[in-house]
Amino acid sequence: MRRRSLGIGIAVVVLGAGLLLIRQGGDRKSGHVERPAGAVTGVLGGAADPRFTRAYVPRPFTFPRDHGPHPDFRTEWWYFTGNLATAEGRKFGYQLTFFRLALAPGAPNRRSRWGANQVYMAHFALTDVAGKRFRFEERFSRAALGLAGAESSPVRVWLEDWTARQIPERPERFRLAASEADYGIDLDLARLTREVLNGERGLSRKGPTSGNASYYYSLPRLATTGTVRIGAARFTVAGSSWLDREWSTSALEPDQVGWDWFALQLDDGRELMWYRLRRRDGSIDPFSSGTLVEADGRCRQLTPAQVVLVPEGSWTSPKTGARYPARWRLQLPAQRIDLAVVPRIADQELTGNFPYWEGAVALLGRDGAPKGVGYLEMTGYAGAGTAGGK
Amino acid sequence: MILWRAAARHLLRHPWQTVLAVLGVALGVAVVTAVDLANETARRAFTSAAQAVAGKATHQVVAGPAGIPEELYRSLRLSGIRECAPMLTAPVQTAAPPYRTLQLVGIDPFAEAPVRSYTGHFSGPLLETLVAQQGSCLLLQSTAAALRLRPGQPFTVESGGRRVLLTLAGYLDPPDAVTRLGLDSVLVVDIATAQEVLSQEGRLTRIDLVLPEGEAGARELAALEKLLPRGTSVVSAGARAGALDRMTRAFRLNLTALSLLALVVGMFLIYNTMTFSVITRRSTIGMLRALGVTRREVCAGVLGEAFLLGSAGTVAGLLLGSLLARELTRLVTRTINDLYFTLQVTGVHLYPETVLKGVLLGVGATLAAALPPALEATGAPPRAAMARSDIEETRRRLVPWAALAGALLMAAGGGLFFVSSAGITGGFAALFAVIIGYALTVPGAVLVLSRLFRPLLGLWLGVIGKMAARGVVVSLSRTGVAAAALVVAVSATIGVGIMVGSFRDTVQQWLGSWLRADVYLRVADRGNARLRPVLDPGLVRRVAAAPGAAGYTLSRRVSVEGAEGATEIFSLQMPKSTFIGYRFKEGDPEAAWGPFSRGEAVVVSEPYAYRHHLTVGRRLTLATAHGPRSFGVAGVFYDYGTDAGIVMMSRGAYLANWDDPGVDGMSFYARPGVSPGELVAQLRRLAGSAEVFVISNAELRRATVQVFDRTFAITGVLRLLTLVVACIGILAALMALQVERARELAVMRALGLTPAQVWGTVIGETALIGILSGILSVPLGIIQALVLIYVVNLRSFGWTMELSIDPLLVLQSVALALVAAVLGGIYPSLRIARSLPALALKEE
Repeated sequence: MRRRSLGIGIAVVVLGAGLLLIRQGGDRKSGHVERPAGAVTGVLGGAADPRFTRAYVPRPFTFPRDHGPHPDFRTEWWYFTGNLATAEGRKFGYQLTFFRLALAPGAPNRRSRWGANQVYMAHFALTDVAGKRFRFEERFSRAALGLAGAESSPVRVWLEDWTARQIPERPERFRLAASEADYGIDLDLARLTREVLNGERGLSRKGPTSGNASYYYSLPRLATTGTVRIGAARFTVAGSSWLDREWSTSALEPDQVGWDWFALQLDDGRELMWYRLRRRDGSIDPFSSGTLVEADGRCRQLTPAQVVLVPEGSWTSPKTGARYPARWRLQLPAQRIDLAVVPRIADQELTGNFPYWEGAVALLGRDGAPKGVGYLEMTGYAGAGTAGGK
Repeated sequence: MILWRAAARHLLRHPWQTVLAVLGVALGVAVVTAVDLANETARRAFTSAAQAVAGKATHQVVAGPAGIPEELYRSLRLSGIRECAPMLTAPVQTAAPPYRTLQLVGIDPFAEAPVRSYTGHFSGPLLETLVAQQGSCLLLQSTAAALRLRPGQPFTVESGGRRVLLTLAGYLDPPDAVTRLGLDSVLVVDIATAQEVLSQEGRLTRIDLVLPEGEAGARELAALEKLLPRGTSVVSAGARAGALDRMTRAFRLNLTALSLLALVVGMFLIYNTMTFSVITRRSTIGMLRALGVTRREVCAGVLGEAFLLGSAGTVAGLLLGSLLARELTRLVTRTINDLYFTLQVTGVHLYPETVLKGVLLGVGATLAAALPPALEATGAPPRAAMARSDIEETRRRLVPWAALAGALLMAAGGGLFFVSSAGITGGFAALFAVIIGYALTVPGAVLVLSRLFRPLLGLWLGVIGKMAARGVVVSLSRTGVAAAALVVAVSATIGVGIMVGSFRDTVQQWLGSWLRADVYLRVADRGNARLRPVLDPGLVRRVAAAPGAAGYTLSRRVSVEGAEGATEIFSLQMPKSTFIGYRFKEGDPEAAWGPFSRGEAVVVSEPYAYRHHLTVGRRLTLATAHGPRSFGVAGVFYDYGTDAGIVMMSRGAYLANWDDPGVDGMSFYARPGVSPGELVAQLRRLAGSAEVFVISNAELRRATVQVFDRTFAITGVLRLLTLVVACIGILAALMALQVERARELAVMRALGLTPAQVWGTVIGETALIGILSGILSVPLGIIQALVLIYVVNLRSFGWTMELSIDPLLVLQSVALALVAAVLGGIYPSLRIARSLPALALKEE
């Protein structure tokens, strides 16, 4: 799972919110961003706040209710990513993510309307492949005064004017809208699959400690249409998106420092999600996991033994100095999958309070023929973090 | 080389003289440095506090007394104006010793990033606590230590007469020293906590904005202005800070001028010392010149000596000044707190600019003062340089010219007073021209006066008296300058004393007309801010029905933000008799009452009219809750409460324009037969458990005058310092003079004068200088008082004062001059009287 998100989510929210204060100082690249992995494990791992519910056993999922927030858990996210293109073939990638972090369980009992126990963070990124440009913004807000929040019926998640919502008359669709001064998206997402429960019926264990787990499901393919705006130019686009939903109270083990997460949509109709957890000593954690969705909708849980994953080359971020794998080779021999995972452009690093790399990728076969599209996330490389590089 | 050695030996052989010269420079530099440091520290504390609270905001959305509805913030955010942050702020007082006023600043940490930087690092749990735990707050570690608080510890603060429990969640960790300074008295809380503590749910004090520069910013500003509801406006952050800075500028300038006076006195002293040092070595210099030393070398030698003295004095002065600055800063800050706004200063640092200023003044002034004697020493032909009597002759010839130059300088200064466009700085420049011009005429005046006094002294003390009078004339080269220094210093104490006294009298008279009710009531809080929290409406109804009260007034004092800074509005519900009892500078109270009571017109205080160029019949625009509204000015009244000025309007007009029914002050008129004391007791009973402050007219007046005296404490200290410099000067000059005369006096002793007679001659001489200086300083002192009252104060603050001269003060100052002079004569006269004539004669 998107532990990526996980990690990030948490780290970012907790750390980030704080950092946010920090950053005002100015230069975001210089050293004041705390070592993210450490911060992540600090929040995700260790002793969980006993006031929150934890994920111990599989639970029944009910939709659309579970698309909405789960405030008894400490963290939660709505993770939309997708590959888009104009009719002429101009390619874009987008990411719109909402993170929820509970500061305290329950609803606040305050006289001030600013009183809030929930904080939201959102990331909005757009990859302009032809323009070779990656744009990214980060926002924070408390869930108060209608500035940010999440609801389940109909589903709506928002942070100021960045929103993801279900259209009541057509519950199979989501509408995403986010706009910044020089870029924006307005997209209509229609689900092509049912919800895929990752891990053990939606319980995604991240480590041996009981309760270090999350609830995790995905909508791995959503037909997407709408417009992308770059500056004043608007492009009509179509493509496919992926939604990841995950909530937890504690997840990572202390020695888990980062992860590489793949959300791939194969041209043959299959979808593949795989995350690899890296440990402090550079080894791969046996709790790394994934799900393969067959074209007919059947799901297969994947274990590390079934997946061969090799980073190839490296790209060094000019902003954070972090060294990320430049591309990957991903093989599932039993499934006859052998793919090169190649970023659409090298620099798709989000240099917010929690720097990480997340971007659109192309899937190529052995012969270099296109095999599909996807999104790749790599965390724990910035800061001290070459820890899990290989 | 030989010159340097000669100079060094000279300095060593006259240690007392050297020490006093250094001390003179040191004191002059110390006073200037101390005042500069105090001013600068207060200014920086203010600026950094303003910056720390305003952050990088370029603009602020502000509103009237009721504040801004919080929905406005949401609509700004949702409309895409994202570089903005809400703030709710008000002063609160800690409820336990050490009582301190802290500025409660409520922020939304999630919106702060683009705007300001309270902390270099918030750890996650701290942020969570601050937002999610009601009543959590952050302080600087140093502030917490001063309040004896540790994280996790609850403490009580008072706000608007209510007590609220807060918990210290952790420490602020400012990213730089400037921010640290600014946060010294700041209590940071989450905005939700701020609303709850201050009982201002739904309200914000302001919204800070960071708008881009140039056209983009102008566009955003225009878009923003469309969103603003009536009663709110956008002001530039710079304009606001500027207005506050201007407010205290006049005050700080006045202090600087006073400190420069000390330096002027110091310069006289240095001049005196250098002249003396040259004179005593004329024979040496003559010999050196005869031996072939060039004029240039001699001149360099004298200036080099001056440089040494100046440097030593400057170093000592800087050290002394930074010590003195601590105390002065406390006084300056207290005055600023009383008059302007809450400011807390903890440390005084020696700023490089101040050091540079001190060095330039100390060394520069010494060199400038040494230049005339240096030129003189080199100007004379070698032979003449060796003759002592020549100098006095030259000097006396110079006296009329100096007097003429002085008269011209005074005339020029006098002319400058009438150029009102020259402003405060021009006023001070003119004042200094007059002072220096006057000082130049002093030697001439001393000459004339001692001749006049000689027969008198002769009648009184016989030969000794005549000798003393003649001695003053004969040694004019030193006595003249010493007298001038003393005159400048004493006149300054007279001038400033008369000014403060006049001001105090004026304020007392004003209080008599302004405070007309018998008893006053307001919310009790420890802060001394001018703006008070409102009284509980139920309480207002209860106390209004007090049986002992014949009538009462309701008042509200608020600050309304405008483009040019804040305007203080004082609204009062009062009977006509009270209104027409106020003293008006312009306008007829009878005629003004009609439009005033109907809410068509306002009356403004004198400083307000002065600052905003208002006269009766003109109009002023105020930002009301219903948008900008223009009011006629029906009168200008005297008010000495604040030099920023106030606008007074009827309560009806205030209610109609600001929709704010709050009352923050009440006053009561006692029924016939009910004493103020009884009424106070009655009101306290009726107030019950409410925390209110009830005070009788007499007590309030006393308290106000106390604040006034406290405000002018700094002036008194500076006056004293100037006088100390002058005393040291006169001491140095007279001691040097008399020591130099040792041989002459020894001759007299040898001729049969008793020690007592010698003593009498010396003391008589110095006493004469003292009394002459004292007398001469009176006219200059009065001139200074006039200038301070009618030029400087008027231009600085817009206040009219009535001149009142306290004869006792003038007498005291003259006596002071006399005492200083006599003290200066005691040591040399004792030394001479005790010494053996033969020894003294041999010493040459």
